[in-house]
Amino acid sequence: MELRGVRVRYGLLEALHGVDLACPAGRVTVLLGRNGSGRTTVLRTVAGVVRPSAGQVLWQGRETAGLDAYRRARAGLALVPAERGVFGSLTVAENLGLSEPGTVEPSFPELLPLLTRRAGTLSGGQQQMVALARALLARPRLLLLDEPGRGLAPAVVARLHELLFRVAAEGRTVVLAEQGLPPTLEAAAVVHVLRRGRIAFSGEPSELRGLVR
Amino acid sequence: MGAAGLTLDLALAGLAVGSAAALSGVGLVVTYRATGVLNLAQGAQAMATAYLLRELVVVHHWPLALAAVCCLLVAAPALGVLLDLAVFRPLQRRGAGPAETMVAGIGVFVLLIGAAVLIWGTAPYGDAPPLVEGTALAQPGGHVLRLDTAVQLATVLVLATTVGLVSRYTRFGVRLRAVVDNRALAQLAGVDADRISSAGWAFGSFTAGLVGVLLAPFLLLDPYGLPLLVMETMAVAVAARLRSLPVAVVTGLALGVAQSELTRLRPAGQLLPLAQAVQTNLFVVALLVAALLPWSGGSDDTGLALPGGGRGGRGATAARTACTVLVLLPLGFHADDLRHALLVPALALVLLSVVVVTGYGGQVSLGQAGYAGLGALGTALLMSGKVPGLPALPAVPALLLAVAVTVPLGLLTGWPAIRRRGLALALVTFAVGTALSRLVFDQPYATTGLTVSRDGMPTGDRGFYTVELVLLGVGLLVVRNLHRGRLGRALTAMRDHQAGASAAGVDVPRLKLLVFMAGAGLAALGGGLMALGGQAFDPTAFDPVQGLLWFATVVVAGADSAAGAVLAAALLVGLDAGTAAGVSAVVVGALATVLGRMPGGLAGLARRAADRATVPARPGPGQEAALTPLGRRLRERIAERAP
Repeated sequence: MELRGVRVRYGLLEALHGVDLACPAGRVTVLLGRNGSGRTTVLRTVAGVVRPSAGQVLWQGRETAGLDAYRRARAGLALVPAERGVFGSLTVAENLGLSEPGTVEPSFPELLPLLTRRAGTLSGGQQQMVALARALLARPRLLLLDEPGRGLAPAVVARLHELLFRVAAEGRTVVLAEQGLPPTLEAAAVVHVLRRGRIAFSGEPSELRGLVR
Repeated sequence: MGAAGLTLDLALAGLAVGSAAALSGVGLVVTYRATGVLNLAQGAQAMATAYLLRELVVVHHWPLALAAVCCLLVAAPALGVLLDLAVFRPLQRRGAGPAETMVAGIGVFVLLIGAAVLIWGTAPYGDAPPLVEGTALAQPGGHVLRLDTAVQLATVLVLATTVGLVSRYTRFGVRLRAVVDNRALAQLAGVDADRISSAGWAFGSFTAGLVGVLLAPFLLLDPYGLPLLVMETMAVAVAARLRSLPVAVVTGLALGVAQSELTRLRPAGQLLPLAQAVQTNLFVVALLVAALLPWSGGSDDTGLALPGGGRGGRGATAARTACTVLVLLPLGFHADDLRHALLVPALALVLLSVVVVTGYGGQVSLGQAGYAGLGALGTALLMSGKVPGLPALPAVPALLLAVAVTVPLGLLTGWPAIRRRGLALALVTFAVGTALSRLVFDQPYATTGLTVSRDGMPTGDRGFYTVELVLLGVGLLVVRNLHRGRLGRALTAMRDHQAGASAAGVDVPRLKLLVFMAGAGLAALGGGLMALGGQAFDPTAFDPVQGLLWFATVVVAGADSAAGAVLAAALLVGLDAGTAAGVSAVVVGALATVLGRMPGGLAGLARRAADRATVPARPGPGQEAALTPLGRRLRERIAERAP
């Protein structure tokens, strides 16, 4: 997956000012940045939620312009948003069933006793697990996650990161947007740092750590 | 036949109305569950389908079966899909709030009624073809159930069961609920939300059409009666809280049977007219009760603030100038034209009441026509000497006393507004307006024996128009004072963020009561002037359908624009006087349906255009930007502080 000179506007405000970045298949890519840096906009642009005013989004070597969000999802893209990632009026089983009827992702056994509960009645962390499980069940070729650890216990976050590396090892592309780089993600292939809608750094996590020191 | 036999016969007769009401309720619930929109246009869609069926069968002599298939399985669903594509989908894509969606629904309602008036006129037709003959089916004990009632009942039960099963147990049903829950997220989950919501609209429109063609043979088919009747059956959907199909079915049937059984109730003396009014309007009473019971208003618990168009600027000055010229112009008119113009200041005051309640206070009120009617009826009763203990009063004291009495009645909608928001409040206000129209204005004491004259006022139209202008000026001053200073800021805060306003120390409940009482007073003043202008009390002038047209007009003009309300009144009266009946409704309805593309209405559009015209051109490379005096001072200060 690759972005070339992508610009995104929200009304009069330009959120991305010509972003170029590449996320290799089979590895985990981390987009780092503060609030307002544009990392969520990058994910939403790739998923087709917002349309770029200029530039190209390439996936599997093809330009994705004009492809609706649901067509991208059917083609194997999944986005787990940072907030409200579940259908609150549907049960947990129905939420998961939208991706794969009758199955629950084994990485989240915590969800098994909650299958008949309405997702809107769960805690924030449980809702996040439902959103992640639904995305993983779709077996996406490109998985985009916006701060997936938000609301989860540290042990669950570590388990999630392990799982994401396993997903990437199957040849799939995994992209996470985070505010900071946790130790469990240091094995990521690429880190892109966004600042005020521009790429400020692209490289290996070790290079970034060297710069910070 | 004994009492028990009579009870059973009445119950069987009541099932006819009850099953139609249940079907209407199921249609509303299904559309809401499928699209997330309370389809206020359902009654108008029902009316349009019934007219089309009559046109094909009676006028063009099509076979009934073929015409029914074309109307119910082709035209009605196509109308639903068209509404989705042209009106509601653009709103959803823009992330419009429930207020705009509701106004768009009212716009469709008004547009379809206006189109029906233009095409078929207002004369009622009594020859709408029945889908099923009313053959009597003999029951044990000699009781009779009509075939059409049995078919209606079976249709309701089959439809409700099928929808319930599809919604709960099929993949399509889960996807449909996912789209209603969170459209954007559903698309990210690979659901084609557009196709799903189109299917929901097509099905909702089919049920609306079915209600129309089933009910039309029992009524005189006209553009106003059937839509309003279907809207009254909204009681069924509200009782079901827009969710439960079994509750909708049971409530519809129970109300139909109860209405039939109540015909036996004959209390002695003065209670008889009241009992008869309640029996005839049981669905209105039920709507009022259902709307007043605690309810969050479906899944939408947010406010219904409409996007404002901003304030002030050159656009506002231009609007005020145009407004002044327009209202002064009729003073030079010929006598016949001036008679039409008498309605402009009166209607402007009624529309200003909507500006105060909805535009400034952020409280959607669909019942302002009721307060206008109270002002008109009060003036007429006081002038006719029909108020016990009071002699017949001249026009001015009668008008002022009617307004003074109506102001505290603003609590009828103001009090429920304290604990209600969103859809729940909109429905309460509509129910109050409808109840006033049916239970107060449509009664014999209000429709016969009242005399309204301009006794004590200038009797000529020119003099009366001048008095109207003075009162309009007073109304505008009141509105201006409500929108300025500390009170204005508190109102704006309440409209934009109720919880935030409370946290900032604004007494929100008191403010709500104030806007509803001020709105009631302005509407009553306008209504009283309407009665004096026409020298009669006309209950149809304050019909709830009229109220919806007025509400849509204000929102189209710009809900927070007082000048817009006056211009809109002139436009409505001008269109009604100068064009065919129905044109004004078509224009207002069409504009309301595209409101999603012009936030703030026409006033917002004008303000933005004026702002664009006054913004200096961007400086070219190497050129200094032209600054205002404030901008120059700010730049100097920044330069002084720069290291």
